[in-house]
Amino acid sequence: MLKFNIKKTFNDEKSFHFKGDLNLPSGVCTIFGDSGAGKTTLLRCLMGLESFDGEVYFSHQEWCSSEKFVKIEKREIGAVFQEPRLFPHLNVKQNLKLAVAKVGKSPFTIDSLAKQLGFEDLLKHRVTQLSGGQKQRIAIARALLTNPQLLMMDEPLSSLDESSKKLLLPFIKRVSLQIPVIYITHSIKELFYLSDNMILINNGEVEAIGEPQNLFLNSKLSLAKFAHEGLVLNVLAKEFYEEDGLIEVMLKGKVEGQTLFISAEDTPKANKMQVRINSRDVIISLKPIVGSSLLNCLSAEVVSFSQKENQSMILTLKVDLQYIYARITLRSFNNLKLSVGSQVYAHVKTMSILN
Amino acid sequence: MLNAGDYQAIWLTLKLAGLTTLFLMLLAPPLAWWLSRSQAKVRPFIEAMVALPLVLPPTVLGFYLLIAFSPDHFLGQWWLELNGSALAFSFEGLVIASIIYSLPFAVQPLQSAFLHLDKSYLEVSATLGYGRFERLYRIIFPMLLPSFIIAAALSFAHTIGEFGVVLMIGGNIPGETQVLSILLFDHVESLQYMQAHKLSFILLAFSMSVLVIIYGFLQKRQQRVLNA
Repeated sequence: MLKFNIKKTFNDEKSFHFKGDLNLPSGVCTIFGDSGAGKTTLLRCLMGLESFDGEVYFSHQEWCSSEKFVKIEKREIGAVFQEPRLFPHLNVKQNLKLAVAKVGKSPFTIDSLAKQLGFEDLLKHRVTQLSGGQKQRIAIARALLTNPQLLMMDEPLSSLDESSKKLLLPFIKRVSLQIPVIYITHSIKELFYLSDNMILINNGEVEAIGEPQNLFLNSKLSLAKFAHEGLVLNVLAKEFYEEDGLIEVMLKGKVEGQTLFISAEDTPKANKMQVRINSRDVIISLKPIVGSSLLNCLSAEVVSFSQKENQSMILTLKVDLQYIYARITLRSFNNLKLSVGSQVYAHVKTMSILN
Repeated sequence: MLNAGDYQAIWLTLKLAGLTTLFLMLLAPPLAWWLSRSQAKVRPFIEAMVALPLVLPPTVLGFYLLIAFSPDHFLGQWWLELNGSALAFSFEGLVIASIIYSLPFAVQPLQSAFLHLDKSYLEVSATLGYGRFERLYRIIFPMLLPSFIIAAALSFAHTIGEFGVVLMIGGNIPGETQVLSILLFDHVESLQYMQAHKLSFILLAFSMSVLVIIYGFLQKRQQRVLNA
């Protein structure tokens, strides 16, 4: 459980008021929002690194209130920042030992984390010699070695290369099964890959809290501008056609869900997958298009539409039990005489696999 | 080559510089930390007091200390009651005077290091479970070790070269307050130029070595910063 009511004003009179109450059993809760909206400020207030007016409660502990303030060092939190912040005068192992020194029993050990995060060979290295990705892996290990009850991460992967992200995202997801994680990001990919829950921040306030799939469908939220770029579908891998380099996947939620073909280099690692369909890559027709190169055709129902300022329409389509967005021109919208309840075919040109 | 009196003066000088440095290394870090962080209105005043020995003629400082050390005044009187001996013209008096005289050399390198310390290291230390003081002596001070070495070396070398203050409050007592620089002055006064040459050379060689070591250290650190 995490409950907070935080009022923070900076000298330049920029003020924030964050209020929220969320269940935090385990899993990842992402903090998402525009830059400058106050994501980092919220996280720093929750950690206890900023002073503010208000209260913070974490799983029946009173962290901060008008009478009480639990110091950061007593809070049993693990913190990972955008920069690794390793101590430059120590080598990798010494850095990690500083974290171990202050905890009693811990499920994490230096050796097991070094193995999982692949830095066994770096333990004796000076941290100043490491690459950004290597440093951040060690910073994450350091945070876990404190045996935290809550792991707080402020855009930890934002300045890393793709290969580091590929290693760390699944790792964080795995960790979140044991420890609740609060994770700031501005990447849609990370958001969908990690989040079980999200806190949407807009203009210095908490705009909404909930599951990303649900919040993305709410066109009243500031999230809509990201959502209109594309939504995520949960699918199950069915078959891998090696000769074509294609995976056939089935939409989750129905026994006999509709299927899609996605190009892939390899057999999918997991059965459950998430694919993101960009709203610009969806073509709408009233009848199935035959004799074309399009592979993917989904039968769908228009459940809502909204006009954008640039003469385009965003359609919300229900496909089986899930939703996708399609961005079409106003002219096409009128030509096809679309309205709520119209049965259409959505042809998907390309899509990306998130995990 | 050197006579017994010279050796005695060298030992006394090293003892004085060693003790002074030791006390300064206990006193200067908290003071420098406070100066680098405090927004208090008295800070410029305290800062000026610390820096005063840099600009004040040592004889002025020595003169005021001589008066303060006399049994007619609070400090001298208190010391007399506590120890049964006078503070002026004693080795203990010299140590106290040297601490004040070399204070800026210990405080300023540390203050500058603390001022440039990235706050994020303190935050990380806190999230690792280290309390306010533990953070400093377990993590931050070791991280800034080069600055501590520079502060200690400068304090030591500066105390070795002390003359005016010792002249005022020391009284030139062999084995008690007669340090190298005073003995050198004695040799010149009594026209023993050969002895004066030897002592001068020792002081010159020592000071030069200390400075070369310090600047070598700074150069290494600079390279590390540039490479990072």
